[in-house]
Amino acid sequence: MARIAGIEIPNNKRAEIGLTYIFGIGRSKSKAILEKVKVDINKKVKQLSTDEVTRIRKYIESEEIVEGDLKKSLSQDIKRLMEINCYRGRRHQRGLPVRGQRTKTNARTRKGPRGSMIKKKK
Amino acid sequence: MGRSIKKGVYIEEKLFKKVLAAKNAQKREVIKTWSRRSTVIPEMVGLTLAVHNGKKFIPVFVSENMVGCKLGEFSLTRNYRGHTSKDKRGKGK
Repeated sequence: MARIAGIEIPNNKRAEIGLTYIFGIGRSKSKAILEKVKVDINKKVKQLSTDEVTRIRKYIESEEIVEGDLKKSLSQDIKRLMEINCYRGRRHQRGLPVRGQRTKTNARTRKGPRGSMIKKKK
Repeated sequence: MGRSIKKGVYIEEKLFKKVLAAKNAQKREVIKTWSRRSTVIPEMVGLTLAVHNGKKFIPVFVSENMVGCKLGEFSLTRNYRGHTSKDKRGKGK
């Protein structure tokens, strides 16, 4: 078990996959990190030495924005858009798609289940 | 794909001149513009621009956070008042 970036405890998966359990790290970033700190991508997380884990942890702490910090900055970005009252901000407020998708049909991910719009507004 | 950095941000030339003039004159005059595609530049902060939405001019007070957006983003072109609710629909008949 390795503890990286606070709460994350990836299990007996390959290091490359294990790192993606951290919010803000996907496959490509995970690969880049492991390459930077010179850890074998195919090594399982449980096989990593303490030294390797520390190197990964240090690198992520210093170079990457992950987990809480990333979530915070994301919500701040959205908040900024809503405050300046621009089109994108208004779409966020209404819970509608922001990037010009059609809303005549579909857009269910943003709108939520059918018929629940009135409840959502309140 | 984004715009090349070499070119800098886009802003209508006439509007740019007006903004600079207003900034120098320290006047609180509203600048009317149709150029919704112009970028909000740092010089505009504190000014009020009247951005056309196709029908009328919407006054936009530019704040620091707005820099980098386009003017059109602050002047909505659509007017959606929502659908009539079910009880209202019945009264009409």
